[in-house]
Amino acid sequence: MTFQDALQQALNGLSFGALLFILAAGLSLIFGMMDVVNLAHGAFYMLGAYVALSVSRATGSFWVALVVAPLILAALGLLVEPVLLRRLRGRHLDQVLVTIGLSLVIVDFIRLRDDWGWGGTVRSLPLPAGLDRSIGIAGSDYPTYRLFVIAFGAALALLLYVVQRRTRMGALVRAGVDDAEMLSALGVDTDRLFTLTFALGAGLAGLAGVIAAPVFGLQPGMDVDALIYSLIVVVVGGLGSLPGAIAGAAVVGPADTFGKVLVPQFALALIFAIMALVLLFRPTGLLGRIRIGR
Amino acid sequence: MSRSTLVRGGVVVAAWVLLVTFPQWSQAWESSRFAAGIVRQILIFAIFASALNLLVGYAGLPSLGHAAFFGGGAYAASIAAERLGTDLLPVSLLAGIAGAVLLAAVVGFLAVRAVGIFFLMLTLALAQMVFALAYQATDLTGGSNGLSGVHRPTLLGLDFNAAADLYVLECVIFLLVVLLLWRVTTSSYGRALIGLRDNERRMRALGYDTRTLKLSAFILAGAIAGVAGALSSYEFRFVSPNDVALGTSVTAFVMVLIGGAGTLLGPVLGAAVVLLIERALPSQVPAQLVLGVLFILFVVFARQGIVGAARSLLRVRG
Repeated sequence: MTFQDALQQALNGLSFGALLFILAAGLSLIFGMMDVVNLAHGAFYMLGAYVALSVSRATGSFWVALVVAPLILAALGLLVEPVLLRRLRGRHLDQVLVTIGLSLVIVDFIRLRDDWGWGGTVRSLPLPAGLDRSIGIAGSDYPTYRLFVIAFGAALALLLYVVQRRTRMGALVRAGVDDAEMLSALGVDTDRLFTLTFALGAGLAGLAGVIAAPVFGLQPGMDVDALIYSLIVVVVGGLGSLPGAIAGAAVVGPADTFGKVLVPQFALALIFAIMALVLLFRPTGLLGRIRIGR
Repeated sequence: MSRSTLVRGGVVVAAWVLLVTFPQWSQAWESSRFAAGIVRQILIFAIFASALNLLVGYAGLPSLGHAAFFGGGAYAASIAAERLGTDLLPVSLLAGIAGAVLLAAVVGFLAVRAVGIFFLMLTLALAQMVFALAYQATDLTGGSNGLSGVHRPTLLGLDFNAAADLYVLECVIFLLVVLLLWRVTTSSYGRALIGLRDNERRMRALGYDTRTLKLSAFILAGAIAGVAGALSSYEFRFVSPNDVALGTSVTAFVMVLIGGAGTLLGPVLGAAVVLLIERALPSQVPAQLVLGVLFILFVVFARQGIVGAARSLLRVRG
């Protein structure tokens, strides 16, 4: 592997890591607040990508889709939480099971909607104008869109961090992750907080779907891939914390990218091995506080 | 033997005889052969779902990766038969069980460290690793093409090539599995598993090594799923990564929950309901969407499944 190749793959790893962060942040946030692993997270990601496909076809602009699709997913979250999850409060496993049912419904709905240009075949979303070229970095060409993904992921991480540290909403989220019951006893409307958290998580999944679509395309099965990767990221990094999602994405993204180049036969085994090691020797994840096992 | 046990035994035997003779007594019906094909698939998935139910319903271990052992068993059975150049039933069936046990031991070793929802996450993720193996180890598994042309087995001069003969084999194995699970769940070992589900801390305090107990249940449930997988490879003469995929694990989970977790009859009913929706309804009906809605309704309103709902109805009545 030449230096140019290594640099190229390092950038690929970073941009994949940035995408994984956007994806896993929503899953981790919902878990931290509600103790629910949202197994519809992959389906939300997929739906975000397909909504973006329709929006960008209708308006001709990727950027409009980048704003509208996550908002639509957040609206779906606003609807789903009170209707399906609230009545099962305290029954965490059943809440998780409901999200499985939800993902079956969403994925089959996408498959059925051939008339919207969705359906069960591979679709693609063109790269946004202005980010569809390559620029020279250290003597080799590199696609600008991937650099944009890195910058976008980093900016989002910073934004979420500032919101969590500096705003009232962020303080409520941190308090809710620590002890939602106590927060409720202090007079905070946790029902509303849970709904908003779930909507934000769904919106982040949708956002990840839009960002990923021009690179990875849209196809059946993308929901499962997204779900598995985000689960691995949160297990490795630590559940329920923003730094955990960042750490997990920073490990898994590059590891997966270099694995696919260096040991293509064992690329997937590599990230699963990392997950297994973390589980055995650091059951809270790298930066988490919640113990996954005993 | 008490009287109620005799009555129950009689009912089970009668039901089984009806089942085995289904192709004969349904002959007058014009879609009899189509129906028999669905019943064969129901039997296979009933075995698979019953295995999962040992974990979900009895031991309280919500595994969302059980297809790893179903598909793993299917691959092991057909690869062994092909490489050893034999169609003997014991060879491929035992290979299927051995493959599933091996995978279940590895996955279980990691997964039993986690509790509750984390157990579900881990089984899901680790099963996906098995899926990746099946997908990538092209030399062994045929990759995304899978293995086609799997031979149907023979035993002591009997050959199960014809669908009608395979049907009898599936009925026999189904009965054996149900009897085994009945024996296991009513034994002191089975009581210990239920104790694990109801109060794990107390079981630890009583001196049980709960981690080993969980791992043993995980491996047993994996072995039975391996049997179902081997049968599936005979039935469809085809094994593919789809048999290991998350969708297949979810299907089995839906069967257990809809039928009634923690009961022997539940997963069998659940397998029947799910496969009838998937295979017997007109093709315009979006089966997965219907199943998703049905699953949500059962989780929210009838968590004990069909069997639980029927029981509470009977109790209310009399």
